[in-house]
Amino acid sequence: MKKKNKPVNIAKAAKTTSLYIIVTGLVAIILLPIYFVVSLSFLSTREAYRYPLPLYPALETKFELTHGKRGYLLSVYDRVESEYRTIKDTSDLEDMSLFMKYQLGTPMTVAEIEREVARLETQDVIRFSHRRNLLSNYQTFFKVTRNAVPALTRSLQICALTIVISLSIGGMAGYAFARYIFKGRNALKFSVLFVRMFPGVAIAMPMVIILADLGFYDKPMGLALVYSVGSIALTVWITASIFMGIPVSLEEAALVFGATKLQAFRRITLPLALPGLAACAMYAFLGAWNETISAIILTQFNPTFSVVVYQTLIGATGQVNLAAAGGIAMALPAIVFTFFIRRYIHQMWGGVTV
Amino acid sequence: MPREWRRAWGRATPYLLILPVVLYYAAFWLRPVLDAVIGSFTGLDGTFTFENFNMVFQDEHFVPALKNTAIIVIFSVTLEFLMALLLALIINRKFFGSGIFLFLAMIPMALPAVAVGAMWSTGLTAHGWINSLRHYLGFTGKVYWLAGSELQLLALIIIIDAWQVIPSVMIILLAGLQNIPEETKEAGYVFGGNYLTVLRKITLPMLKPTIQTAVILRLISAIQIWLIMVILLGFSRLPVMVERVVFYHDEVSNLEISRQMALGYTIIVSVIVSMAALAYLQVSGAFKREAEEVV
Repeated sequence: MKKKNKPVNIAKAAKTTSLYIIVTGLVAIILLPIYFVVSLSFLSTREAYRYPLPLYPALETKFELTHGKRGYLLSVYDRVESEYRTIKDTSDLEDMSLFMKYQLGTPMTVAEIEREVARLETQDVIRFSHRRNLLSNYQTFFKVTRNAVPALTRSLQICALTIVISLSIGGMAGYAFARYIFKGRNALKFSVLFVRMFPGVAIAMPMVIILADLGFYDKPMGLALVYSVGSIALTVWITASIFMGIPVSLEEAALVFGATKLQAFRRITLPLALPGLAACAMYAFLGAWNETISAIILTQFNPTFSVVVYQTLIGATGQVNLAAAGGIAMALPAIVFTFFIRRYIHQMWGGVTV
Repeated sequence: MPREWRRAWGRATPYLLILPVVLYYAAFWLRPVLDAVIGSFTGLDGTFTFENFNMVFQDEHFVPALKNTAIIVIFSVTLEFLMALLLALIINRKFFGSGIFLFLAMIPMALPAVAVGAMWSTGLTAHGWINSLRHYLGFTGKVYWLAGSELQLLALIIIIDAWQVIPSVMIILLAGLQNIPEETKEAGYVFGGNYLTVLRKITLPMLKPTIQTAVILRLISAIQIWLIMVILLGFSRLPVMVERVVFYHDEVSNLEISRQMALGYTIIVSVIVSMAALAYLQVSGAFKREAEEVV
């Protein structure tokens, strides 16, 4: 018996191995670009412009200090060339400190530099290393990029408004589609889907005038109204399938015990639907957070965060490491929320029950 | 009397629950869409005209934009679908770590377009991370990715799009595959079918609804691709339909005809997308009569 099974096991093992090879390869291809942008967003400005780029960010910078013509000669260890490179000759320690902070992402106070300089009294060459500030690109991005912080706040406002509008309006309709059979149900449900597929850019252009009339042009509320068009449709479909999954008999039981319909909904159905509704909220958030083209068209002086990052990317002035930091800041909520809504992934594709 | 009232109320409830959506869509979808259609047929003097579309058709970038969009849609959707199907068929079973793998595969599609733009714009420059990686792997010389011919650039865009889309389409197809009962396939083997005949006669036909969903929805988003080109190449270098809308609305917004041009392009994109959307609704059974649906 055992002998007979052996060749089968080998075939099975080969199959499993090849499966894992393919899966590993896929994971590598998916993660490689993401890894490099994350790594780039942690590199110092100096290293971000080195070629070839270092493969990973350094946790500390190694310095070499000696006497120079104009004062102190500062060299920094180059990880690509594996040697010290002279980068600055100055007697102004203030200047040196600023250079370390902005070019090398290594914040060292003047007092700290003075302490190292003092050692030069007895030695010709001294070497020391200092911890890097890994988040320096992110801090600089938000400090340097005009509008980045207010844009971030605005984007969050827009997302919150979109969630409120789409969950309240879409949730009601979703409940109706799940619990009632009525004339025109199918036609209505699919009309909603059609609206979702319709290109957003087509409503953004005329919305300029409509929102201006309402006083919402270039305001968070204006964009929230536009984004809700798409996310209401998604909410209708997701909530309909959520409410369908909650047995009517539970509500009926509550009615028997004397609850009103509204109470039955609030005390029984709503708590059960909460995880699904949370997923809806995250979808609405992502839809509003990721969108760019309507935001370009519908804002003027008050862009969203995605427009700010877009402008950094197409502008010639943006440094690559700062652009990377902006891109990662943009990507972070998407990755986190995807983790929570991964069970509802089908809905992203139009909410079709296949 | 109160009883009839109550019954009428009961019948009206679903409509009342749906009413907010209908009103919302009337105000913030139907009205702007009508405005766009009317605007695209209105000349600068405010009268009805076909001149806007004439101008769009005569725009030197119209034909290239249409052609590039068509090439991207046809090739990227085909390539992505075939690759995704192949991968889904290979991976179609539970394995150690499959949960994490599926989560990772969802990420590219969930990323905002500007983040994807940041990824490739820092990678594809001469001193970017892709050339650096090649350097570490022992290749000498740099590849000037963004200096290629139009065809090479199109291929580049299609590959970038494939990176973003294949994992997600694969997940959709995997879900579809997992819904096919094992017994059906076993029956195929019992009656003497080999892997290929079972695939062709049983698996693929049963997967058809999933495939249609994935392909048409991909089609709709591929038609609207634009941001990656603008971030990598700037405007007008590799024109596509939606890129033209942003170009006229944002880049040259001061021309007298900017708005007309942008609206014209918008309407053309909308018509194309709507046809794809209607095809989608058709295959997903939207136009079936109600009676059939209840069954």
